[in-house]
Amino acid sequence: MGFLVTTLIFSVVGIIASICSRICCNRGPSANLLHLTLVITATVCCWMMWAIVYIAQMKPLIVPILSEGE
Amino acid sequence: MGGGTQRPTMDLLRSEPMQLVQLIIPVESAHRSISYLGDLGLFQFKDLNSEKSPFQRTYATQIKRCGEMARKLRFFKEQMMKAGLSPSARSVISDDVDLDDLAVKLGELEAELIEMNANHEKLQHSYNELIEYKLVVQKAGEFFHSAQNSAAVKQKEVEAQQRGEGSIDSPLLLEQEMVTDPSKQVKLGFVSGIIPREKSLAFERILFRATRGNVFLKQSVVEGPVTDPASGEKAEKNVFVVFYSGEMVRNKIVKICEAFGANRYPFAEDLGKQFQIIAEVSGRLEELKTTIDFGLVHQGNLLRTIAHNFEQWSHLVKKEISIYHTLNMLSIDVTRKCLVAEGWCPVFATNKIQNVLQQATVDSNSQIGTIFQVLQTKESPPTYFHTNKFTSAFQEIVDAYGIAKYQEANPGVFTIITFPFLFAVMFGDWGHGICLLLATSYFIIREKKFSSQKLGDITEMIFGGRYVILMMALFSIYTGLLYNEFFSVPFELFGPSAYGCHDPSCRDASTAGLVKVHATYPFGVDPTWHGTRSELPFLNSMKMKMSILIGVAQMNLGIILSYFNAKFYGNELNIRHQFLPQMIFLNSLFGYLSLLIVVKWCTGSQADLYHVMIYMFLSPTDDLGENQLFFGQKFLQILLLLAALVSVPWMLFPKPFLLKKQHDERHRGQSYALLGNSLDDSDETELHDGSSSHEEFQFSEVFVHQLIHTIEFVLGAVSNTASYLRLWALSLAHSELSSVFYDKVLLLAWGFNNIIILIIGLFVFICATVGVLLVMETLSAFLHALRLHWVEFQGKFYEGEGYKFQPFSFTSLDTEDE
Repeated sequence: MGFLVTTLIFSVVGIIASICSRICCNRGPSANLLHLTLVITATVCCWMMWAIVYIAQMKPLIVPILSEGE
Repeated sequence: MGGGTQRPTMDLLRSEPMQLVQLIIPVESAHRSISYLGDLGLFQFKDLNSEKSPFQRTYATQIKRCGEMARKLRFFKEQMMKAGLSPSARSVISDDVDLDDLAVKLGELEAELIEMNANHEKLQHSYNELIEYKLVVQKAGEFFHSAQNSAAVKQKEVEAQQRGEGSIDSPLLLEQEMVTDPSKQVKLGFVSGIIPREKSLAFERILFRATRGNVFLKQSVVEGPVTDPASGEKAEKNVFVVFYSGEMVRNKIVKICEAFGANRYPFAEDLGKQFQIIAEVSGRLEELKTTIDFGLVHQGNLLRTIAHNFEQWSHLVKKEISIYHTLNMLSIDVTRKCLVAEGWCPVFATNKIQNVLQQATVDSNSQIGTIFQVLQTKESPPTYFHTNKFTSAFQEIVDAYGIAKYQEANPGVFTIITFPFLFAVMFGDWGHGICLLLATSYFIIREKKFSSQKLGDITEMIFGGRYVILMMALFSIYTGLLYNEFFSVPFELFGPSAYGCHDPSCRDASTAGLVKVHATYPFGVDPTWHGTRSELPFLNSMKMKMSILIGVAQMNLGIILSYFNAKFYGNELNIRHQFLPQMIFLNSLFGYLSLLIVVKWCTGSQADLYHVMIYMFLSPTDDLGENQLFFGQKFLQILLLLAALVSVPWMLFPKPFLLKKQHDERHRGQSYALLGNSLDDSDETELHDGSSSHEEFQFSEVFVHQLIHTIEFVLGAVSNTASYLRLWALSLAHSELSSVFYDKVLLLAWGFNNIIILIIGLFVFICATVGVLLVMETLSAFLHALRLHWVEFQGKFYEGEGYKFQPFSFTSLDTEDE
């Protein structure tokens, strides 16, 4: 459940960022397309890394074994 | 070709469309047109006179004249450096100084400066000589004075003896004493002068040998260094007086003096005359000093006026030289009335260029306007990306590998995001990220100031890459939060940790470990992991799998870009017989591996993925047993293996044969056309022959090329995927170093409870963090991210065989030949 919610949050943030970039620097269709590509790439990269770290901890095969004296 | 879709093309994805343009410029507006085009900076001239030597070109004399002016300016700069002045920054660009006037003015200034220098030299020479003369007179005077005193004393003694001892034996003694008969006395002469101290010993020895010991040399040390008139340098010197008898000896002595560089000065024995000479010389020295000082002040003023205008003049001369060089590239019409220029310019700049040429025509009062004509050509145009200050650094990174072919897909678009991202995967620590952010924001805030200054090499590089470093820092903060490392210290920022003790007493926390009691830690690595014994096995496994997933994703992006390239150039062959088999091969093997990784994580199965992958190849029909992750896995594996095996010959064989077929079709079409025309003019067929590109189609060459390409891809698929494991390796190194510095330096110093040790420890920690982690690790991660982009990503689709658009522009003038 947490996974889907956070994925949704990432996509919403991505959409907001692309809208912001369209509002702030509207420099013609070709430049807008470039900005959109950059924002989408950044969102996808960030989401992918978060998802990997999250999923890797969902059903762990190794658990933390505390070292002596902690 | 292919750009005729209705969708807008993306900025920076492909080179701006370029066109070959011919300009016909009337001679009177030529200079001004080129000057304005240089200000605009959007036109690259082609050299139409490349066969001519520099002397045969039209404007060779003007270039020579400008060269002379540049030489004079260099001379001025030298003189200014010697006087310790520096040229002031370029002040207001005053009215255009005419080139002819400038040439004359520079000539005058140079003559004046040379004359002043010569006079100064002469005066200085006389000054030094007079100083030496004064020293000689003083020191030699001391010799003679002391010698006379001791001689007088001795004389008195002898007389006293003579008077005292009036015995019988004394007449004989007396006679012996009187040997020095005044009439038989030989006339003693002397030579006085000054010699450098290091040569004095050798001087003495050679004098002795040359004159067979018949001279007497007396030296006296001069305290303090003396400026030598000949060389102008200070040296330690001795004053000497050589006593000799005879003319021949004198000549020898003089020659030896000259050989040793000893300066001779006359000396008068009379005491009164000595004083007079010293007084005269002192007076002249005073005069000379004032004259020299005055001369220096005058020279200083002149140099100051030059320094004031230096930058402006120098810029003007450089501008003129470049304009004339460009004018030399234009071919001059037979009638000498107009010049023809050919060059590349972007299509969007057409209006601007035409306006500028119009302006030049008006300003130079020419009757005829310049003709602007677009030419059709098969030549490959230069590549031009319209970058701003943010994207230019990333584009340079891509260009360092190779300039994109004209209208090829530019990896720079994705590099803007993926390069800092991959850097951050290897650098992940939000504390270090914040440090980088602070460092780069200093450069960005002071942008305007730094861009006008001249910076050192390293600072220049950092300043040029400030936006790259900004992106790197932002992404590092993000991945640092994900890895949960703040100078290697984890924080529980996003909710409770997922792990807790198995039972309330926590007995087996150090043996069997904790248990997952809450939901997964929502953002990043659970803070409980840091410092545990099983931290490394867990993190290593996660980071390795992450590297593979990121790698497969980026390589797929590369292959997809090659699809877009093939579609743009209309190369159906490449799409069907290169893109498709490549996608199938990569994804059936490594895409499948990525799928297995994700499924294993989601289901928590204990399947051994190494085992699965290896036995997929070795014995695909075997039962999977406990390594089964999902239903139908065995069937899927066999299918994927077959697909991969089929795709390899699919990559290799069809393309060369199809290329041969295409070439044959083209040739067949041409040979029919030739048959048709042979009854008509024979010149037409010759023209046709010459214009058709007669590429020899060597089938073996094409086949070998395709073979190499296939092998490279197939083997590269394995090696490139493994190469992405460096993302894991560097991030492990970074976190280990960071944790060592924290635990073994800072915590150790804290443990002593002593303020001095704490301060020392803090200092060592800061130095180690900045030196090793912030500088060395940054460079290391930068380099590896760069390599991943250049080889693994761009190798999938990038040809990079273009050449860069280098417009004629004055902005680069100030930076070159510094």
